Amino acid sequence: MFMSFSCWAKDVIPVPQQVSLSPNSNTQQISVSWYGGEATTFDLLILRTEFNVTVFYETLTVVADEASGRHEFNWTSAEPLECTSLSVKVRSRRNDRPTSESMLVYPQDKIVPAGSNITFCCIIGEGKSFGSFHFISETLNVTRLSRRAYAATVYNPKASPTYGYNAYCRGLAQSEISGAVLFVGYPPLLTDFICETQDLISAVCHWTEARNTHLFAKRLKTRYSINGRNCLCNPLGEYSLTDTADVRTRVVPLPPEELNTVASARNTTVRWQWRHSQYSCSLLFVKWSSHPAMKNKGELTRLRTFSGVGLRSVVLLDLYPYEEYSVKVRCGAQQNFWRWGNWSKTISFRTDCDTPSTPDVWMWMNSDGTGEILWKPFEPRKSNGPIVSYEVTLWSPDDNTRHTQIVPPDTFTMPVNLSGITVNNNSKVIASVVAKNPAGLSPPASINLPLHVTNLETITKVDFREGAFPLSWESDANSSCGYVVEWHEASCLRDCPVEWIQVGEENTNVSVKSDAFEPGVRYYFSLYSCSSEAPKLLKRWQGYTRELTPSSTIQLSTKQQDSDILITWSEIPTSHQRGFLLGYNVYLNNGSQLIPLASLSSQENREDTGGTASITLEPYADWLILEILATLGVTSLALIVVTFICYKKRKWVKGAFYPDIPEPKLPSDWSTPQSTLDVKPLPHSMVHIVEKPEWDSSKDVLVVIPEEDENDEGQGIRDEPVDTDESTSLRYYNQVVDERPIRPVTQTLPIPLRHHWIPDAQM
Amino acid sequence: MAAQGTQSQTPGDEPEQPGSGAGQTGRAVALARLLHRECSHLLQLFKEKESFFENYTPDGGRIVSLSTDSEEPSTEEQVLRLHSALRQCLGLIHCVILKEEEEWGELEGDYESMRKNVHQRLQYLLHTTKALMETEETILEVTPDHQCTEEVDGSSGLFALKMWTFRVLVELVHWADHAANTLYKLHSETEEKDPN
Repeated sequence: MFMSFSCWAKDVIPVPQQVSLSPNSNTQQISVSWYGGEATTFDLLILRTEFNVTVFYETLTVVADEASGRHEFNWTSAEPLECTSLSVKVRSRRNDRPTSESMLVYPQDKIVPAGSNITFCCIIGEGKSFGSFHFISETLNVTRLSRRAYAATVYNPKASPTYGYNAYCRGLAQSEISGAVLFVGYPPLLTDFICETQDLISAVCHWTEARNTHLFAKRLKTRYSINGRNCLCNPLGEYSLTDTADVRTRVVPLPPEELNTVASARNTTVRWQWRHSQYSCSLLFVKWSSHPAMKNKGELTRLRTFSGVGLRSVVLLDLYPYEEYSVKVRCGAQQNFWRWGNWSKTISFRTDCDTPSTPDVWMWMNSDGTGEILWKPFEPRKSNGPIVSYEVTLWSPDDNTRHTQIVPPDTFTMPVNLSGITVNNNSKVIASVVAKNPAGLSPPASINLPLHVTNLETITKVDFREGAFPLSWESDANSSCGYVVEWHEASCLRDCPVEWIQVGEENTNVSVKSDAFEPGVRYYFSLYSCSSEAPKLLKRWQGYTRELTPSSTIQLSTKQQDSDILITWSEIPTSHQRGFLLGYNVYLNNGSQLIPLASLSSQENREDTGGTASITLEPYADWLILEILATLGVTSLALIVVTFICYKKRKWVKGAFYPDIPEPKLPSDWSTPQSTLDVKPLPHSMVHIVEKPEWDSSKDVLVVIPEEDENDEGQGIRDEPVDTDESTSLRYYNQVVDERPIRPVTQTLPIPLRHHWIPDAQM
Repeated sequence: MAAQGTQSQTPGDEPEQPGSGAGQTGRAVALARLLHRECSHLLQLFKEKESFFENYTPDGGRIVSLSTDSEEPSTEEQVLRLHSALRQCLGLIHCVILKEEEEWGELEGDYESMRKNVHQRLQYLLHTTKALMETEETILEVTPDHQCTEEVDGSSGLFALKMWTFRVLVELVHWADHAANTLYKLHSETEEKDPN
């Protein structure tokens, strides 16, 4: 007997038990009975054993007998039972789940690891037809499992997106669709699992997820646990890491709290509290730095580690007075150091003031005993606090008199006048400058004021090289406290604005730089010795950063002496020279070119004092005058001679050049009256009247009084027929003088004006 | 003959006249049209994330249905029925959000963002129709009208949830379009009565 069973996923169908066969040869029936539990549907299979040929296979509905609880079925064989051996199989059958008409796909909401294959099956509804099976947008090849079941396999799907993959089955109708969602992902994988404690009571563990699981649905998310309280798992698996250590070696201390400071001028005590009263830290890391506003003055950041049992404060040393700092602290375990804890909050504080440093003092003295005491404003971190004022004291050891003047903090000079002081060999006047800030007074900076201004004849030229004036000198034994190099513009003679630098006694050279240096400006550099006496001038230099052409023209004045012309000019002011003068060149300007006449060189190391040049006129200039005079004389003589000759021969000259004009001779008396000029008229011409203007009777016109009738004989003009076919003709009447009066006439009838013309042929 | 000036304008575009009936209905029409656009966009986003739905047309008729009378209802009655349908739609979208957040958590993608938009816009439209139609005799509710207890098409599994969500989104598009048309009808009638 074979017993078999089938099951669907989670549901297990009961396997028929205690199957028994009862043959009845008479009826050729076999009674098959079994225990089938609550199942009512069974498949019954009867085989001819030897040839394994099926003679009966049907699904039966058999109800269990109430008394025995057994199911029974009678089968009748077509052949006698004695003919051959028969085998019987029974299995329970749960009616096909989709007894409904809708389509179903399995497995639903499956989760598989990436790289694995998965097979889906689609069960179509009863009486429906299968259409196609799809995975995402791909159509799958299907294998028919049974009448209504079709299977398809998806090979090696990649990790799924947020909402999973859709595997769906379609029937022939557009609306027939069913499917399942597939999730493909990874089991959890993590690294760097570390646990620490801050208080030896609780621990904080950190880890890193080394790989995205690609399982985004809520129920698929990875869950974590430590020490078995929860599981580090997702539906695809579980991952575990172990971190084993003595908790005392994993201490990450808490940061200090409530930092505060107690500051003095050059050190500060930093104090703090701990969150837990029993907390203590034996290793501290402190970082403090100057305020960012000091960045351009050299921001200072310092780090230092302090150690000690139960530290609750540290002292920061070597701070700058009156400067703002920020500080923060973190703690570490001195024994079994694991790592530094978090930083505390940063706090800021300002150190107290300290007395100012000694001012840098100098002086400028004029030759008349007046001058100025000078001092420089403090460099950063030298004033040690805001300067309130300066106190300048002048005192004379001789008579022990003191004069103190207080000047405001933005003043760096004070005028002095020593002209009233009686001078002897031991006379001294000392100027002291003291700076004052809230912390007190600086040490005094003193200087002996010279009562006589000395000068040096020799001034050495110095070249400007590499952005500076290199000055060097011989060491002076009397310079017990070093040297002072001072410089100013050479054009300044009195109360000059000076710059200076202090040089140590061991130095004998210095390169002087200044942002105030300008090209074309001469600077004087002076080296003074520093001692208990007044500064002594040791050496002088002069130089230009860059020489330029003189900026002013030369005013010439001339003076003639005989044939010499003396040209003089005055010195060019130093400020206009803009360079060291080498000399003067004298040119003659003849209007079109400059002709060099002379070249004068300046004496070295001598100040310019102007110049003089003398020009002597050449002798040939006198001959020129004589020639002119001679020419004038000859010309005058020639004019005199010509005039004399002309006077003597004046009659001939008159006759030759402007003789008298004779009068005309008249043949007869010109007083007879004039008569008519008989003038032959010009050849015949016709004047054809082409238009007869209308006579405007309203107008007066000037007309010639018509002549008498033309019947006079021999004279005059006769109306002659003309050889014309014109309707009218004109005759020209010419009279040299027409004495007939002309008077305006007002007529009503037009009277034609007749012109008589006598052709030649008729004359 | 020149077209009527009011008829050529798009409802909701005319100058707003607070308090005027035409102004209120015009705003309601504009709101319904906006809701329709957003519902269509939401459906499109859903199809993009669940690519197989491109060629699928759900069967089975409407999820939300209205009772039909033998007589043609007036425009006001149509709006009242619309209000009722929109309440059911609100319940459906509310249920979709609930079930999707239960499965996926509170994601913040484009689909989730637009789903939230539709939910809020639908609520606002309900308040608008309530303001239009409510009277002393007729009190209109704006709460969702859906229990959210269904077994999404009688089957379990995330795919069934997706199918049901798709049907709901299609339903929303339909009812938003219906709302725009019905409210426009009301707006036109209101304007005829009160052209000013």
